[in-house]
Amino acid sequence: MKFLRLIYQNLWRNKLRSSLTALGTMVLVFVVTLVWSILGFLANATTEKPANIKAIVSERWRIPSMMPYAYSTSLKEGAATESEHIKPSDNMTWTFYGGSLDPKKRTFENIVFAFCLEPKKLLTMMDGLEDLPPDSADRKTLEAGVAKLEQNRQGILLGRDRMERLKKKIGDRFIIHSFNYKEIDLEVEVVGTLPARRYDQSAAMNIDYFLSAIDAYKQKHNGQAHAMANKTMNLVWLRVPDTQSFTQVAAQIQESPQFSLPAVKVQTASSGISTFLEAYRDLLWGMRWLLAPAILVTLAVVIANAISISVRERQTEFAVLKVLGFRPLQIMVLVLGEALLIGIASGVVSAGGSWLLVNQVAGGIPFPIAFFPKFLIPADAWWWGLAVGGGTAFLGSFIPAWTACRVKVSEVFARVG
Amino acid sequence: MSAEICVKVDHVSKSFRRGSESIQVLSGLSLQVPRGEYLGLMGPSGSGKTTLLNLIAGLDQPTAGSVWVGDTEISHLSESQLAAWRTRSLGFVFQFYHLLPVLTAYANVELPLLLLPLSAAQRKQQVLTALDIVGLSDRLHHRPGQLSGGQCQRVGIARAIVTDPALIVADEPTGDLDAKSAEEILNLLCELRTQLKKTIVMVTHDPRAAARADRILHLEKGKLVEQIEN
Ligand SMILES: Nc1ncnc2c1ncn2[C@@H]1O[C@H](COP(=O)(O)OP(=O)(O)OP(=O)(O)O)[C@@H](O)[C@H]1O
Ligand SMILES: [Mg+2]
Repeated sequence: MKFLRLIYQNLWRNKLRSSLTALGTMVLVFVVTLVWSILGFLANATTEKPANIKAIVSERWRIPSMMPYAYSTSLKEGAATESEHIKPSDNMTWTFYGGSLDPKKRTFENIVFAFCLEPKKLLTMMDGLEDLPPDSADRKTLEAGVAKLEQNRQGILLGRDRMERLKKKIGDRFIIHSFNYKEIDLEVEVVGTLPARRYDQSAAMNIDYFLSAIDAYKQKHNGQAHAMANKTMNLVWLRVPDTQSFTQVAAQIQESPQFSLPAVKVQTASSGISTFLEAYRDLLWGMRWLLAPAILVTLAVVIANAISISVRERQTEFAVLKVLGFRPLQIMVLVLGEALLIGIASGVVSAGGSWLLVNQVAGGIPFPIAFFPKFLIPADAWWWGLAVGGGTAFLGSFIPAWTACRVKVSEVFARVG
Repeated sequence: MSAEICVKVDHVSKSFRRGSESIQVLSGLSLQVPRGEYLGLMGPSGSGKTTLLNLIAGLDQPTAGSVWVGDTEISHLSESQLAAWRTRSLGFVFQFYHLLPVLTAYANVELPLLLLPLSAAQRKQQVLTALDIVGLSDRLHHRPGQLSGGQCQRVGIARAIVTDPALIVADEPTGDLDAKSAEEILNLLCELRTQLKKTIVMVTHDPRAAARADRILHLEKGKLVEQIEN
């Protein structure tokens, strides 16, 4: 395109204005990208997966949920008692055990949050671990770690960051002084690491070790059970093949008389997140329907402003181009082209840049709540940048471009007097 | 129309509307410019010289009457037809050069060629020829800001002749130049006429410039009042 060079050179006419426009576009495209990414991320997290669902069993009325471990036997079977009842294909129990290395002082550097679970469930039930490719290094590490946890009941797997913070290495032994299970202080041995990223701050231990410590407490205290002895299971996850079996298993459990004190409820991960997000519904609505459109309008105005100033300054120039034989449409193309070039380039740089930065460099932003996966910017952001930058540039520059192509030569050159 | 006539202005009137009042600038003006003539237009400020030139260049339409250039009645063409016609058939030289400040001399001269179906090599050839004619082969990559007024005007003339049009119109081409540069520009215009056989219509206030023309027409209040043959 012969005009492209011309358009490009025109942008250098006023470097300050062009760069400010580009900068403004980048900032606004960045915000839109974030807003859309967050909305998409939440929509994705709250969309029911049609197959291979994880049902979450928790206490019905209390947060945090704390159920007797005795529930686990029946819950793992989906409370199936009749022959027509269906059973979950897999399951896991969750016990959150927190403590610090120093009984007197709790700091970010010495605390440990561990999931106590059946070790092999790390391989089949954990989000982000269950689907590790069989040959991957992470999978191999994890399998080795699970084997160690099974052999050595006192074993603990630490996330990489946690390991560093605690200044421990594989083979080290130390005592965790619990703060949510008072006096259940466990001596552990680091036997491996958890796969990187999602579980970098976590730890995993064998549930048997924890449960035997609860039993031992009773023996040591003349048959007096630990105050939390009946509250040692926070969640149970059950895997069911589809929504229909989910509904049935949920009904089986919720109708079962076994789980009355405390009562339990069954949710999916997405319905759990939905419930959680319910509180922010207005905020999310505002982001989608007010914030994002407002930014788009602002962006169009920023571009319209810059382009119309530049068009006004160049009336004579457009008149000269007309004298040289440029047709109105061609002049319009020159002006629109300038706006589109700035808009698209800054849009792509900004959206693509945030994609690179968040996903490739930072490796995603962890969400510290619920069971959210890491926040990532979708690869579609590249297109958003292109479309938002280009679209708003087009809208913003259409009227100035129209003005430019309507320039009347005889009036521009008339020395009215 | 005769092949010997390049421009024919036939009973042309032009009025402008300013608010509610209408200003009659040209009234029933007729003139003919033979092919290859160098015509000078003089007259007091506001007499309608630029208006007449704009009509000849197809930059505006007459209120009444017709304008012919060569075999084309340009007063009947649409805006985009006129644009295409101007690219090929007309070169315009401005008093204030009106070069694009961001472009080099070369790129300024190349502008009209971008509108024609030419290869990059053909464009280059024509640009270099035009700049050679005006004697600026050594200033190809200078921007207007780096050139003197006279040099800018020469780039302007190169831009006007680069598509090889038969007719060149110039509105006070020396009006913004010192005597020496003006002299050079006038010499250049004479060369265009004698060597390249261009027809030239030039508006000027400068008697020395007018003296170089074959014929001078005096315009007053939208009418031709005097004709001088040099
Ligand atoms: N587009 C226009 N709209 C309104 N009035 C115009 C327009 N163009 C020219 N005029 C008026 O027409 C008259 C003639 O203008 P024109 O520019 O043709 O004069 P001129 O002879 O070229 O003068 P000068 O020597 O100062 O350049 C002036 O009164 C001017 O104000
Ligand atoms: Mg004038």
